[in-house]
Amino acid sequence: MIEFVCTVQERGFAEGLRPRLAEGIARISEEVLGTPRSDVEVSFEVIRHGFGFRGGELSTTSLVRGRIPRPEQDVRHQYLFALEEMWRDVTGCSAEEVVVSAGDQ
Amino acid sequence: MPFYRCQVPPNALSLDQRQELARAIADTHCGITNAPRKFVQVVFEEEPVDPQPAPFFINGYNRAGRPPETRDEILAGLREAFARVAGVPLDDVSGHIVEGQASWTMEGGQILPEPGEEGLEWYEEHATAAS
Repeated sequence: MIEFVCTVQERGFAEGLRPRLAEGIARISEEVLGTPRSDVEVSFEVIRHGFGFRGGELSTTSLVRGRIPRPEQDVRHQYLFALEEMWRDVTGCSAEEVVVSAGDQ
Repeated sequence: MPFYRCQVPPNALSLDQRQELARAIADTHCGITNAPRKFVQVVFEEEPVDPQPAPFFINGYNRAGRPPETRDEILAGLREAFARVAGVPLDDVSGHIVEGQASWTMEGGQILPEPGEEGLEWYEEHATAAS
């Protein structure tokens, strides 16, 4: 089971995009890591406006954090790049507005 | 990364105080580590906090690879800044910092380098202010 927690800012992007993001994480987990989509769980944690900061200023950054079965490092990096690209495609955010991490389970 | 999740009692801090504290946390972290300021993420969570060990609690998550003394110095600086800005005794602020592998994280379009392996180019590229 792969679990992801996506910490997003209240005014960051439309709430309706969350299912596409969760679907994207599950699809990429299957394609890159071979984990069945049904074994990928994604939750969203919304930070109220005025409660999230980056570099001391109000933040629009999303933090996408998960734990995955220990892969080879090049596979992990392929996975991170794919997740980051998907997130930017769906939300329209810049590379500066998303942090993706995938640690060992 | 770094990521600081600050648990505070409900209505304990105004927006101005949260902003001042977020800046103080960035000042403290970057002053000690030289990390790019825009990478410092701070989130405040208002929830009833167990007064033991303290009503204000800082959960930090940093890149692994720095000496333990550096981690201790960061935490001490954060506690002092928190107490000053929040106007509470130092003993009311506690926290801890855990660490994760830099290579597990992608930020600013790149896999994070290990501490000490950033290179001048990386610092220059990420030296711009947060947006």
